[in-house]
Amino acid sequence: MIGNMVDTMDDERDEVIERVVGALSPLPQPRSAAVARVLMAVRARRAQPVSRVRRAIWWAEDTAVSAKVAGLLAAASLTIGFVARGTMTEQVTYAGAESTSIEMQPVASMSSAVPVAMAFELANAKTVSVVGDFNGWDPAANPMQRVGANGPWSTTLLAKPGRHTYAFLVDGTTLVADPRAPKAKNPDFGGDASVLMVRTP
Amino acid sequence: MGLLRGNLSHTLGLHREPVSEFDPTLPIRAKHGDEQAFIRIVEFYYPRCLRFARNMLGSDQDAEEAVQDTFVRVHDSFSRFREDARFDPWLFRILANRCRTTMARNRRHRSLIEYGDIPQTATAEHEIGADWAEEVNVVLDSLPADQREAFLLRHVEDLSYEDISAMTGVRLSALRMRVKRACDTLRARLGERSENDRKHGGHNG
Amino acid sequence: MSPRTNNLLLGAALCAAMVAAHGVGAQEARLLSIRDDATRDRVRIFVEAARLRGTPTEPLVSRALEGIAFKADAKRIEQALAALEKRMRRAKELLAPHATVDELAAAADAIANRVPEKAISDLRRIAPRRSITVEIGVLTELVAKGVKPSVAATMVRDLMAKGATGAQLTELNAAVQQDVALGVTPMEALVLRTRGVMSLLPPAASVNAAQRP
Repeated sequence: MIGNMVDTMDDERDEVIERVVGALSPLPQPRSAAVARVLMAVRARRAQPVSRVRRAIWWAEDTAVSAKVAGLLAAASLTIGFVARGTMTEQVTYAGAESTSIEMQPVASMSSAVPVAMAFELANAKTVSVVGDFNGWDPAANPMQRVGANGPWSTTLLAKPGRHTYAFLVDGTTLVADPRAPKAKNPDFGGDASVLMVRTP
Repeated sequence: MGLLRGNLSHTLGLHREPVSEFDPTLPIRAKHGDEQAFIRIVEFYYPRCLRFARNMLGSDQDAEEAVQDTFVRVHDSFSRFREDARFDPWLFRILANRCRTTMARNRRHRSLIEYGDIPQTATAEHEIGADWAEEVNVVLDSLPADQREAFLLRHVEDLSYEDISAMTGVRLSALRMRVKRACDTLRARLGERSENDRKHGGHNG
Repeated sequence: MSPRTNNLLLGAALCAAMVAAHGVGAQEARLLSIRDDATRDRVRIFVEAARLRGTPTEPLVSRALEGIAFKADAKRIEQALAALEKRMRRAKELLAPHATVDELAAAADAIANRVPEKAISDLRRIAPRRSITVEIGVLTELVAKGVKPSVAATMVRDLMAKGATGAQLTELNAAVQQDVALGVTPMEALVLRTRGVMSLLPPAASVNAAQRP
């Protein structure tokens, strides 16, 4: 991403231009759930294939989805639901001895998982990741990113509708519950975890 | 609502936010259907795309829409992304096109030249206490779109002239001319203010 | 033969069987992240035995990995797996005649959180043909937060019967959580919010998602 430093014609960057660039360069902090909205727009497209003719209308449609989504946001746990567009067929399978040695259902079927925006404030941490039942408590699955040296940590992950438990793993060693989410009791192992309720599409 | 492009709280000297490394395998994996890889790409590039779109369009709302639309198109046309190509220029080509479409659409709806959503009070260049970033925005707004685009891609998004030429289909010489003209205008209209700031040791808030 | 040798042979036999079996690969791959060899083997043996009993293995593996994350020892993990399997079998009966793996896992959690078993089968009866994972989850969460189980069960059941969607129930839960955080008792919050959702439902159940506290 480093620009072409050898460009000989580039004697344009005197002090004024440097100052101008300085004013324009800071990376904006996206609004919370901006990434999730992108993913939902992608999903909306997939659910309704758009022909060339309809492309012009798609602009207006997309704006309508955005407005609707904006009305749905603001849940304390930053869970985002997917409304209206397309249908997700439920797969009902049979559990029990009748089924053979084949797994009942593919693990974390992508088609039903919903994007969820996660946010976490913690100044003194080198790495943070989200671990939970949606990613097999895998520290590497959903690392979080921060803007700047002390900004909030954030990431977007996929989780199926329903109740989930999770926690933030700080610096690879310490599990911390999400201060913004309801607490989850862990009868099996103790410890602090949080509850995430993901809405049905 | 869409107001200013630069971040007001950032002053001189804070050129670039630290940017972590981009995993080059992500576009390839996303191309082959890895949804998590696509999410990573969106997370990584969203701020940069938003920066360019805001600077280009002058409206937060327009910028967000353009960025969102860009990523949807990226997702749709991944099959056309060549795995040996670099991702940056490909992404920004789509983004730049989206921005141009937005501007064309806005022109149809507005009779004024592109001032974005900047309120009238911000256009007074030498208003007492006017913020440097605001002034930059005003002048940037007044540039012809071609020049603005070329300037932003070259000097803010740090793409090479070759990349920009490949992206936009504009000849290298024409590109350099656009950037030069943009710089000339910026220098002419902001140079004095910059000079004053220096003399009075003032920085903007 | 010593029990340890027994275990080793059993483990080896099961490993061979697992390699041969189709579709087990995904779960096996997840187990590989368990670094401690002894723990991994113990979990693997349990999971494979459970699979042969017809129990879905994905929730078991997830629970094991959760135990690893919370630094539980092998014995604790094994106990947790056994408890989970038992609850899933019970869940299967309650959710008869059919259930997805997600529903089984959700119902198992519900049982662990003292949701009345009858409530689970009631929900299944009301919605026999679609997944009720979300509804079970909401019920679990309400009970976990201190609403009297029978009351929570009645509320959720009645809402569902009147056509409330999973999305509406999720909203309801979020609203209750907020109220509780502000000092309202869980019961009161649930009663009030339920009334709110009810008023939106008949005759054509429309989702008024914009109506938030």
